[in-house]
Amino acid sequence: MRTLSNMLPTVLCGLAVVLTVGCSSLKNPATTDIAVTNAAVESAVAAGGSQFAPVEMNAARTKLAQARQAFDASDYERAMGLSDQSRADAKLAQGKANSAKARAAADALEDGIQILRNEIKRDKP
Amino acid sequence: MKNMPFKLTLLALALVAAACTTAPTTQLLDRARDEYRAVQESPMAASYAPLEAKQAGDALAPANAAAENRESAERIDHLAYIAQQKIALTREAVKQKSAEAEIAQAAKQRDQLLLDQRTAEADLSKRKAQIARNEATNATRNTQLAQQEAADAKRSTQLARNQTAEAKQDVQAAQAEAAGAQRMAQDAQARSALLEAQLSALSAKKTARGIVITLSDVLFGTDLARLNAEGMRSVQKLVALLQDNPQRTVLVEGFTDSTGSAAHNQALSERRAGAVRSALVDLGVGQERVAIHGYGETLPVAANDSAANRQLNRRVEIVLSDDKGTITPR
Repeated sequence: MRTLSNMLPTVLCGLAVVLTVGCSSLKNPATTDIAVTNAAVESAVAAGGSQFAPVEMNAARTKLAQARQAFDASDYERAMGLSDQSRADAKLAQGKANSAKARAAADALEDGIQILRNEIKRDKP
Repeated sequence: MKNMPFKLTLLALALVAAACTTAPTTQLLDRARDEYRAVQESPMAASYAPLEAKQAGDALAPANAAAENRESAERIDHLAYIAQQKIALTREAVKQKSAEAEIAQAAKQRDQLLLDQRTAEADLSKRKAQIARNEATNATRNTQLAQQEAADAKRSTQLARNQTAEAKQDVQAAQAEAAGAQRMAQDAQARSALLEAQLSALSAKKTARGIVITLSDVLFGTDLARLNAEGMRSVQKLVALLQDNPQRTVLVEGFTDSTGSAAHNQALSERRAGAVRSALVDLGVGQERVAIHGYGETLPVAANDSAANRQLNRRVEIVLSDDKGTITPR
C-alpha cells in the first residue's frame, strides 16, 4: 500500500486526463441520450404512467431533470447515467401502466362473463 | 512524453489496485442477478416476453462486466439498477401478455356464452310456443267439455223438472185417488146410512138369511093379489132402495093363512108375490133382480086360531140379497 500513496499524484493526473478527454467526447452522445429519454418519459405519461406507476414515473421525471442539470453543468457522464436510469424508469412505468390496463380489461371482461353466466342461469327455466 | 508508457503502466496498476479495495459485486447487482435468474427460469417470460428478457440480459451483462472489471461500486450499481428496471419491465410485459391472453380467451368464452344463450333463447321460445299451442288445445278441449257439461246440466235440469212434474202429477193423482177413495168411502157410508134409513122405513128385520122386509096383509085387498095405496108406498121405498144399491137382488115370498083350500092358498101366495114383482118391475127394477116364490099356507108365523094371528100369516116377505146379489135359500 505504500506504492499507492507514492503514486497518488500520478494517479490524480491520469484521472484528470481521462476526464478531460471524456468530457469533450461525451457532449453529443449525452444530448442524444437525454432527447431519447425525454421521448420515453413523454410516452410513459401518455400511457398513464402517472396513474398506474407513480413511483417510477416520479423517479423518471426527477432523474431527467437532474440529467439536464448535470448536462448544463457540463457533467456529461453523470448526465448520461441519470438519463439512462430515467429512461429505464420511464419504460418500466409505461410497462406497468400497460400491464395494469390489460389486467383491468381482463378483469372487466371476466366480470362481464360472470354476469352473463348468472344471467343465463337465471333465464333457464 | 518519454515517460508516457511508464505513466500508463502506473495508471493501469492504480486502477487494478483501486479495484482490489472494492467488492467484486454489490447488493444491488446480486439482487438483479437473482431476479434475472427467476425471469430466465420462468417459462411465461420465455413465451410472453422473449424480447424484454433479452434486453434485460443485455442490460445485466455490462453490470456483470463492470463488476468483473472491478469498476466502482457506483458504476456497478448504476448498471445493475438499469438491469433491474429492465427485468421488472420483463415481468410487467409477462403480466400484460397473460392479461391479453385472458382477454382473448374471455372474448371467446363470451362469444360462446352468447351463442349458447341465443340457442337457449331459441329453444325456450320454441318450447314456449309449444306450451302455448298445448294450452290453446287444452282451452279448446275445456271449452268443449264445459259446453258438454252445460248441456248435460240442462238435460239434468229438464229431467229433474220432468221428474218433479211427474212427481207432482203422482201426488195429484194420489191426492185425487185419496179424494176418490174418501169420496167412495163417504159414498159407501152415505149409502149404508141411506140403506139403514130406508130399511128402517120399511121396518126390515135382520135375520139369518139376511134382511127381510115383510109386507103385511093390510097392504093387500082381502083375498086379492093387488097392492093397495099403502102397499104401493112401501114398494116405492123398496124401489128407491134397490136403485141406490144396484148390486142387490130380492126374493119375493108369498104366504097365506090356512083358510080355504091349500091349492087356492098356494095360488094366492104366488099371485101376491107376483104382484109385488110386477109393481117393482113397473117402477123400473130389472126383472132379473126380482125372484118370486109362493109357499101357500105352509110356514105360518103364528097359529091360525084367531083373526089377528091369521092376518099375521097372510104376508109377503121380501128377502134382500147381500152386496153380491146372493140369497141364502130357505
